Amino acid sequence: MSKLRYLPLLLLLLPPFYLDLFWLQAGLFVMAAAIGAIGLNLLTGSTGQLSMGHSFFLAVGAYGYVYFAGESDEHLVGLGLPPVVAIVCAVVLAGLAGLAFSPIAGRLSGVYLGIASLALIFIGQHVLFNVHDVTGGYNGRAVPPLEIFGFTFDNSGDVAPFGIPFGGLEKLWFVGLILLGVSALFALGVLRSRPGRAMNLIRDQQTAAGVIGIPVARTRAAVFTLSSMYAGLGGVLLALTFQRAVPDYFGMLLALDYLAMIVIGGLGSVTGAIVGATFVTLLPQLLTRYSDSLPLVSPPGTGGVSPADAARYLYGAAVVGIVLFLPAGLRGLRIPSLTPRKETTP
Amino acid sequence: MTEVPELTVENLTVRFAGIVALDAVSFAVAPGTLHAVIGPNGAGKSTCFNVLSGVYRATSGRVTFGGHELTSMAPHKVGELGIARTFQNLALSPMLTVEDNLMTGRHRLMRSGFVRSGLRWPSAVREERLHRDRAREIAEFAGIGKKLAHPVGALPYGDQKRVELARALCGEPRLLMLDEPVAGMNATERHEMAELIVTVRESLGISILLVEHDMGLVMRLADHVTVLDFGRLIASGTPAEVQNDPEVLRAYLGEEAAS
Repeated sequence: MSKLRYLPLLLLLLPPFYLDLFWLQAGLFVMAAAIGAIGLNLLTGSTGQLSMGHSFFLAVGAYGYVYFAGESDEHLVGLGLPPVVAIVCAVVLAGLAGLAFSPIAGRLSGVYLGIASLALIFIGQHVLFNVHDVTGGYNGRAVPPLEIFGFTFDNSGDVAPFGIPFGGLEKLWFVGLILLGVSALFALGVLRSRPGRAMNLIRDQQTAAGVIGIPVARTRAAVFTLSSMYAGLGGVLLALTFQRAVPDYFGMLLALDYLAMIVIGGLGSVTGAIVGATFVTLLPQLLTRYSDSLPLVSPPGTGGVSPADAARYLYGAAVVGIVLFLPAGLRGLRIPSLTPRKETTP
Repeated sequence: MTEVPELTVENLTVRFAGIVALDAVSFAVAPGTLHAVIGPNGAGKSTCFNVLSGVYRATSGRVTFGGHELTSMAPHKVGELGIARTFQNLALSPMLTVEDNLMTGRHRLMRSGFVRSGLRWPSAVREERLHRDRAREIAEFAGIGKKLAHPVGALPYGDQKRVELARALCGEPRLLMLDEPVAGMNATERHEMAELIVTVRESLGISILLVEHDMGLVMRLADHVTVLDFGRLIASGTPAEVQNDPEVLRAYLGEEAAS
């Protein structure tokens, strides 16, 4: 197969040169969400393990980064590590949090894990609101900008390729692309080889998987840990884009958003996770941006249907429509003949 | 091919809340033989299979395979000993291709984990290639070599049964357990499957434990037959001996026929 078909991906390098900050930020949100969604899709789409706790691990990643990279002052504590080290530590921390929950995640299957993992959200919210020193409490905490080998990702204006001054988001765009690319390739590597096949068989035929020699509980636990690391990395990029981490954001609605992403995009597929993340993340942004010119949607705070609510209605409808008419998700639109219907879900 | 040990079942009893599914059943599968377990519906054949493959726990009794006690093992540990089985109702991943389904059978022989697979480590890539080659050979052997790229769910029933058998063979088993391999097949498919089982046995020299309702098939293929009825062992011997056993006739046909 020709490698040329990957050429259009180079277009992704262009936006920082042409688009304004709103679109750059929206694009970075998409990348962060896509990383998290790829992780959730490994767990839910490929292994059949429902998780409602994904927003908890996103929070661990985001606040992990803020804590490791942030400086201490009279109200807040932080370790002041170099940001790159802080990213690695945050992802590892999210992995450790996943590992801590994995004895449960390995033993419970499907929907039961979904219910058990709800607990993580409530515990997470409680901790985030109350550990003021780390999270800054209700109002959140500023996120220290990324810095790689003395090169700071802020608006200092020290870089201006082709005469275009690059601010923080422009520079972060490229980091986001690299992180998303590496995350996607890693997930594809996993899915197309031994662990991926084991995950699929556990989803489709749990008993047969065990008999064939696949340690079911251990594999599930490993996937759960891996998926929480993806969520951690997504959380870090989210925090870097937002430039502020607010506890309220990492609630149950966010966990539902991620489930909507993988269902809309296509369960069990890396491309599907990226497509779904784009759809679910961009929709509210677009509605907010154009709320004055759209019927039935009013600008936030003016009463009536807010763009965020309208977006939720829309993708709620999209989820229903896709489950009924497009079981392979939006990704299945492209090549319907190659994605046969799933026969049964035991 | 490594040495094939004997499988011995001693006084195996399984109870489900008051129902005795297996009652002190003993038999042995000699290395390299085809041993059939038959009996009317509800005789305990499938329960026996599920205990041997670690899916159910025995209430009492012992099952040993080459010095290993199976009754306390998790299913994947039993699989690692080289015991592979097929299922009465298909247990494949319908959306994966035939080739990928066969590759799940080789899971126990491969080593690449998440990190090496995700990073496409050279050793993982090499391992994947080697095992794919072997899986393709086995597919040819099982007569599904032309369907490697098809999703399993799209294949006819008879072919799916073959894929299951091929997947079990992909684990390079020393004991192959077949749970009703020709159930639901038409005459041609039955005949072809029987031929395949004979070929497996002759060319691989492994032990085969067979549960089947098709008496013609059992009598033709088996070296030794164990007959269960209501969880008890009622007869054991060569096909010819078992066929004329009054207990067996009674279990299958009723009192009158036996007298």
